[in-house]
Amino acid sequence: MRYLGKKLITLIMTLFLVSAAAFLAFQIIPGDVVTSILGTEATPEREEQLREELGLNYPPVVRYFHWIADVLRGDLGVSYRYSKNMNEMMPVTELIGDKLPVTLWLAALSLLLIMAVSIPLGVLWAKSKSRFADMLLGVSTQAAMAVPAFFLGILVTYFFGIVLKLFAPGGYVSYKKDFWGFLGYLLFPALSIAIPKIAMTARFLRNAMLTEMNADYVRTAYGKGCSRRRVMYGHVLRNAMIPVITFLGMIIAEIVAGSIVIEQVFGLPGIGRLLISSVSTRDLPVVEILILYITFVVIFVYFLIDILYRVIDPRISEK
Amino acid sequence: MKLFAAGKKWNKYFVAGLIMTGLAVLLGVLGLFWTPYSTTAMSAAERFAAPSLRHWFGTDNFGRDIFSRVMQGMSTTILISAAVVLISGAAGVLLGALTGYFGGVLDEAVMRVTDAVNGFPSILLALVMISILGNGRQNLILSLGIVFVPSYVRIVRGEYLRLRDADYIKRARLMGVGRFRILFVHILPNILPVFGVSVMIGLNNAILAESGMSYLGIGVQAPDASLGNMLSDAQGYLQAAPWYALAPGLVIVWIVLGFSLFGEGIRRQME
Amino acid sequence: MIKIENLSVAFDGPEVVKNVSLELKDGEILGVVGESGSGKSVTALTLMGLVAESARVTSGKIYFDDTLLLEAGKPRDKALYRKFQGDRMSMVFQEPMTSLNPTQRVGKQVDEVLRLHTQLDAAERKKAVLNAFASVGLKEAETVYSSYAHQLSGGMRQRVMIAMAVILEPRLLVADEPTTALDVTVQNQIISLLQDINRKQHNAMLFITHDLNLARRICHRIAVMKDGCVVEQGETEQIFNQPAQEYTRRLIEAVPSRLKKRKSVQLSSEQEKDIVPVVQVRDLSVFYRDAGNSLFGRKRRHCVVKNVDFELYPGESLGLVGESGCGKTTLSKAILGINREIEGQVLHNTLRPQMIFQDPYSSLNPAKTVGWQLQEPLRARGAIDGSQEMTKADMEEAAYDMLRRVGMEEKYFHRRPSQLSGGQRQRVSIAQALITHPGFIVADEPVSALDVTIQAQIMELMRRLQQEMKLSYLFISHDINVVYHMCDRIMVMKDGRIIETGRTEEIFGAPREEYTRLLLAASQDRNKD
Repeated sequence: MRYLGKKLITLIMTLFLVSAAAFLAFQIIPGDVVTSILGTEATPEREEQLREELGLNYPPVVRYFHWIADVLRGDLGVSYRYSKNMNEMMPVTELIGDKLPVTLWLAALSLLLIMAVSIPLGVLWAKSKSRFADMLLGVSTQAAMAVPAFFLGILVTYFFGIVLKLFAPGGYVSYKKDFWGFLGYLLFPALSIAIPKIAMTARFLRNAMLTEMNADYVRTAYGKGCSRRRVMYGHVLRNAMIPVITFLGMIIAEIVAGSIVIEQVFGLPGIGRLLISSVSTRDLPVVEILILYITFVVIFVYFLIDILYRVIDPRISEK
Repeated sequence: MKLFAAGKKWNKYFVAGLIMTGLAVLLGVLGLFWTPYSTTAMSAAERFAAPSLRHWFGTDNFGRDIFSRVMQGMSTTILISAAVVLISGAAGVLLGALTGYFGGVLDEAVMRVTDAVNGFPSILLALVMISILGNGRQNLILSLGIVFVPSYVRIVRGEYLRLRDADYIKRARLMGVGRFRILFVHILPNILPVFGVSVMIGLNNAILAESGMSYLGIGVQAPDASLGNMLSDAQGYLQAAPWYALAPGLVIVWIVLGFSLFGEGIRRQME
Repeated sequence: MIKIENLSVAFDGPEVVKNVSLELKDGEILGVVGESGSGKSVTALTLMGLVAESARVTSGKIYFDDTLLLEAGKPRDKALYRKFQGDRMSMVFQEPMTSLNPTQRVGKQVDEVLRLHTQLDAAERKKAVLNAFASVGLKEAETVYSSYAHQLSGGMRQRVMIAMAVILEPRLLVADEPTTALDVTVQNQIISLLQDINRKQHNAMLFITHDLNLARRICHRIAVMKDGCVVEQGETEQIFNQPAQEYTRRLIEAVPSRLKKRKSVQLSSEQEKDIVPVVQVRDLSVFYRDAGNSLFGRKRRHCVVKNVDFELYPGESLGLVGESGCGKTTLSKAILGINREIEGQVLHNTLRPQMIFQDPYSSLNPAKTVGWQLQEPLRARGAIDGSQEMTKADMEEAAYDMLRRVGMEEKYFHRRPSQLSGGQRQRVSIAQALITHPGFIVADEPVSALDVTIQAQIMELMRRLQQEMKLSYLFISHDINVVYHMCDRIMVMKDGRIIETGRTEEIFGAPREEYTRLLLAASQDRNKD
């Protein structure tokens, strides 16, 4: 319990530091926001008014605390770039609101695919005694890991979309309109994210299992008269899964990264795509919130993994 | 420990990796000085020519020779990645050696940052850096260079931490060998194989990051060819000219696979 | 009756077990002794059906009573073996920590034997396991049942392993170096336990060990193995008193036994008391700081070595004995200034004392040649005091000279440590420590990782160099018998304190402390009874 408390404090502190770093980093960017919103033709009065509205007249540290206080209250600020109409600015909350589910579903679907395929594959691979299967899997996973996500996305688009016509490239359906159609479309980008990670995880699990199979306690188990099957599932698999869980935790961070690129490839309106466009247009309030958000997700996942790790590995929970 | 001990057979990973990367680097270097066709000359008559003996990889939407552009893209990608690895590797060795061997406050501080950064997708960090520094080749190299430092620090630090308490290092201290001599003469040669493997992995990560960012339009900008931005152009013509996308994509796979086989080869050669 | 007939086993290369024949009767303890690589473990693992899959049985048969368990040329009948393993034959290993599944409660692991071989229900099984724990001397069996391996001490873990092995009263118990990883006093208890079990259950025991003293104490018969062959077997006392083979004789000769006469060096005598000591240690306490979470909790300081006082005279070798964790190594590091968390005084009267470590594999830099490593102390010295500036040629000459003095040929000068054997590495380590003529050497278990015959050579070398170079040794060892042969005086350490100091003859002849007596008894060559 004390450990949990300590971890929570660290988590909050990290979030605080990252948010401060992200916020302050964007303050040193050259270029004036006001000019970039209004263009160079605006009157000085209008510029001053906007400055006031955006709270740009305070020193950075004060602005940071204003900002973080607003964020905590649920007010994420307004986009510099998008607007609702001529007179109303676009709140970031609204901008992100309908894009978040797309990314989350994409990540969830990818993770599901990764776990559903890589774990059985890794176990079978470790158990297999066939030299041919070993070589085949070795080469194909190595190759799969070498394919960059966006190229894999393009390959998937080409084969499944253009050649096999299993889906219409660019024909994204909103989850609000047709949820199953949405998932069906999402399957292909998820596959593009998952394939290299499946290869990585399966290799990792296989190596972990092979390491465990050479451990002394496995010999002890055979010495008791355990069958190979019993040794595998009763002793080896559980111990081999412990490092794999940490590995999967790291994979989640990479899924987030992968989705940034893959959303672009498949034209998905998720937060990754929003992030890219906000970075290229310097829509700072949006970038800051997205960074903070992704940071939160990543740190929280690590937090969960850490807890899970302690639950399943008795060697650590002791201390 | 020795990589090329007498009578040791070269394993096939090593050989395959060496051939693949060797060919890629050769083409990339050649691409700096000479390409079969001009990389910018457009020709409306030759739009979307399929691969042939004249144009090995076909031509693109402007009738430019894809093979020539791939060669140019390879030199861009390889040069940027090499520069990135040079920056991050050198900084990583220095920081890792100092923190791993001496520990203390510096170690504490560096490790906090490293842990935080390591957890993040590198492309995200590079995005943030780029949005602060702005587009451009130097900024791309600088941001990726900084982003990858922690991965080397972690590995090098781990090795120094492990070897710091090795008996032979304890004895070197007893003999009165100076600290920096211990760091860089006694310990460093022992971590070179491990470091070599991580350089190979680092090269791959740099290549993937560079091409990913160029694909997203925030790395190398047109009209310069990079494998990433070629793919992004090609995506629009998948139906009409699938080879346009396949060529740069497969070349990336080729290079990355080569480096990882090479790294695996080094690892196995050490055993 | 268990019978191994003409067994030969090969992995990828040549045979590692050659034509081994052994017989075991009920109630008999057969010792298999030999140095590392002699094939004794492979023989045992083959018998148990636990040898790696890559092993090929190239000749021979194994019988368990009338059952033919294994025959050359035929694949191992795994189903048949599974019926025997854990039920009629079982094995105890050297490393109880790694031999237990780290993530499963130890009770469950013993329970698994019953699940596999009996029809008992859960409650009956648990009762049987608790009984077994009690019978191997584990107190609070309930607590042990629900513990994980890392929560138990080394001795307790080995008791759990033994309980697991004997719970079904197997006819054959194979014990592969079951006490090597344990402290001497614990070793003694485990040995007695195994002897008790042998008497009570009247099972046949195959006892594998490198320790000849131990084999002599408990085995009825002994087989000596070398390079995969059984060179000699027979009744224990007969083997020891009238070894038929030259190798057996050499092996016995090499064992540091207290029944043999000490070759005393005798440099320091009572009259020489007024010479200046090499090292004076005054009221020395050494501390250890918790390396815990430094951001939150404050570091705590534990006192590991308490109020140690002694001096070491020129040419003397002083033994420091005690069990692992008693603070021997911590003390030695404090004396050499590697550990600075100290109170009290250490006064050196020699320049740059050096240290020799236990593990010959980690005491040399794998990336550098022997010659480079021998010259490094000279370079380092030159860089610091400058007074004894040596030319490159001088250094090289000194290195060659030292190499010869430790009994190694010049061709090794350009080799790397990976090309040397364990004994050769230890020789190079010694050479490297002595090249600056330090006068005082701390030797931390310098021969413990070596095979007996090599051990004897290194001890001989150290004694010779001591006389030639007027060295003083602080000789740390857990092996009382080694200390007996190496040292003039002995300090006994327990829980961070020196509890007894005296001349070797005094300590061995008339120990004052109970603990010393215990240590001595534990390393006895033969049982008194």
